Amino acid sequence: MIGMLAKLLKALNSDSAPGQIALAFALAVITGLTPLLSLHNVLIVFIACILRINFGAFLLGTLFFSGLAYLIDPAAIALGESVLTNVAYQGFLTDLYQSDFWRATRFNNTLVLGSLIIALIAFIPVLLISRWLISVYRNKLMAWVEKLKIVKVLKASKFYKVYEALAE
Amino acid sequence: MKQWIRWSGLAGFIAISALFVLVWMFAAGPIIKYSIETFGSQAAKAKVEVENISLTFDPFGIEIEGLQVANAEKPMENLLQFDRAVADIELLPLLLGKGIVNEVALTGLVFSSARQTSGALENAAEENDSSSAEQKAQATPNEDTASATEQALPTADEIMSREPLLTEQRGKAFKSSFETIKADSDAALAALPDSKAIASYEDDFKRITSGRFDSIDDFQQRKKEFDALKKRIKQDQKAISQASKVLANGKKDLQSQWSGLQEAPAEDFNNLKSKYKLDGAGVANLSRLLFGDKVGEWSQEGLYWYEKARPFLVSEDGGAEAELDKSETARGEGRFVHFETDRPLPDMLIRQVQLAVQFEAGQVAVNVYDITHQQEVINRPTRIVATGLGLKDIQSLELKGSLDHRVAPGKDAFDLNVTGMALNNYDVGAMGLKLDRSQLNITGQAEVIAGNLDAKTIAQFTQAKFSSKDRTQVAVEMAKALAKINTFDIQGKAKGELTSPSISIESDLDTQLSQAFNQRLKEKQKELEAQLKKGLNDKLLSYGGDYSDQLKEMDLANGSLGDKKDKLKKLSRAKLSSFKDQQKADAKRKLDEKKKAEQAKLEEEKRKARAKAKAAADKKRKRLEKEAKEKFKKLF
Repeated sequence: MIGMLAKLLKALNSDSAPGQIALAFALAVITGLTPLLSLHNVLIVFIACILRINFGAFLLGTLFFSGLAYLIDPAAIALGESVLTNVAYQGFLTDLYQSDFWRATRFNNTLVLGSLIIALIAFIPVLLISRWLISVYRNKLMAWVEKLKIVKVLKASKFYKVYEALAE
Repeated sequence: MKQWIRWSGLAGFIAISALFVLVWMFAAGPIIKYSIETFGSQAAKAKVEVENISLTFDPFGIEIEGLQVANAEKPMENLLQFDRAVADIELLPLLLGKGIVNEVALTGLVFSSARQTSGALENAAEENDSSSAEQKAQATPNEDTASATEQALPTADEIMSREPLLTEQRGKAFKSSFETIKADSDAALAALPDSKAIASYEDDFKRITSGRFDSIDDFQQRKKEFDALKKRIKQDQKAISQASKVLANGKKDLQSQWSGLQEAPAEDFNNLKSKYKLDGAGVANLSRLLFGDKVGEWSQEGLYWYEKARPFLVSEDGGAEAELDKSETARGEGRFVHFETDRPLPDMLIRQVQLAVQFEAGQVAVNVYDITHQQEVINRPTRIVATGLGLKDIQSLELKGSLDHRVAPGKDAFDLNVTGMALNNYDVGAMGLKLDRSQLNITGQAEVIAGNLDAKTIAQFTQAKFSSKDRTQVAVEMAKALAKINTFDIQGKAKGELTSPSISIESDLDTQLSQAFNQRLKEKQKELEAQLKKGLNDKLLSYGGDYSDQLKEMDLANGSLGDKKDKLKKLSRAKLSSFKDQQKADAKRKLDEKKKAEQAKLEEEKRKARAKAKAAADKKRKRLEKEAKEKFKKLF
């Protein structure tokens, strides 16, 4: 956990492209908000593995959004229910239902579909906002943060030693 | 673009995925083995053991080797075992946690094979002990039925011991009443005065009432004794009345019951005669006797296998619905919305099981379709089709079954068709009869709804030829009668609770036999009737044997009561005159005597007067005659 956080800080403070960290957060929205043991998350993990994104940020983001999911689940279920029972989509959904692959994705589960829709809608905003926040942090906040007493205390701690070791 | 791809990440993903697959491959076999043994044992209520389970990949599936399902009722025997079963499993539904098996092929299937070790479940052993008594109790009616069908023609004694008889019922009631009434009568008679007592009453009466009262004291003493005697007599009279009432009522009761008892043998006889009538209608018992044991045996066999196979084919009606409701209403997990499809996926489905069962007569190929505990999801019942393959002595055999549990209560239906079955040397079992040869076609339907069985089977026999090795007259006559019968059918029906259905058999053989066999049956009937009559009369005598004597005794007792009653009545009417009355009587007597003396005197005087008058008349007549004579003489 400390290592993961250190990696994240290292990434934030390094020259890593902000987009790589932001994409990790955006992908984490999907794995975090939707039920983890779903077929689409295998694809997301695969993408997270093969793309040069910050994996620590992805794991931490997944953890964060999983916690957030407890609040969003009722809304996600309601959204999934309304989509799955919407007469206009019945033909399309029935066609998908005929395929074992699509059924294996559990798209006909109200929570899976509802949370996936919310996650996909949030993907781009999270990507853009986190990218902007990283830029703001690096340009304006990083120097100010390093001057904070608490950061100085932290630098003297075990945590910072880990960070240093990773940074080298 | 290349700067965005992390090749080490790709390798890591592949490595982790491969590791996951490898672990699953090694773990899947033991997990499936554990599941089959655990859940199979629960369903079979006996040990289910699997030798080995391995995964196959083309097509994806599992291979089960050496499966044994122990028989819960006979732990040292396997219900079934097979050498190898290959199941073709769909991979994608498995990711959804749904076991969809397209086909299961079984080889080396054997039923009722011996086991090396006991197949009883350890925790079920105790339950078996406690339930064995119940099983015995449940088995008793069937055993009774079986024994009933296994009997030869019943004798009069067997019939009388088997049937509830009015003679026995009324006889017992009569005997009981008789004993009660006898005890009451004896008690009432014991309370009565005997002849000596009555004689002493008479003597006392004579002594008290005869002779003159010497004085008033004498009179009063006698009066006291007289009153005491009369009181005793009154009590005795009361006791006699009571005793006569007891005797009369008892006699009336006994006579009424006796007439009922006397009629009972006739009523019993008529009942038994109609039930065990060996004429056209009664030969139904005979066809049951000839084929009943076999029909009963087959019914038991069929029900036994049905009950064994059923838990593996369908679940109880309520279970699936309850599970379905649970998954539909779970919160926080969402719910699955199902759409119309021709490929619905229940949690577990075996689309087809193919197996070949080896019998003495040959092989029967059995296909079972759509085995699942969620029939409502696939909207199809579980179906069974069994077809005979090159069976010896059977042209064709087909069994179709449907276990439909989509809607409660479930309905299990079976259709059986057997054509061209050659029966040779079939031992009928009664009277040494043997069906030497016959062609047989069987059609049968059975339905089980909510634990109630309704089954009907028709067996048509053609080219039948019977013989009997018995030399008894009945067997010979029966064989002769059957020799004339070429074609007949037997209809078997089973109805009622699955655990103890009532089985009935009808046959046109009965009608045919009744025509050919009537004369012999009449003789046999007469014989049986005579035996029945004798038996019933013996029973009657055993209950009412000394009734006549007792009745005579009661009559005599009643008669003697009348005599006693008359004597006591006479005595009770007697009166003791008073001393004053005695004085009056004396005066009256004297007066009477005086009157009598005066009367006598008067009579004497009258007599004397009459004699005097007569003498005067005679004298006058004589004088007149003399005068007349003298006058006459004067004339001449």
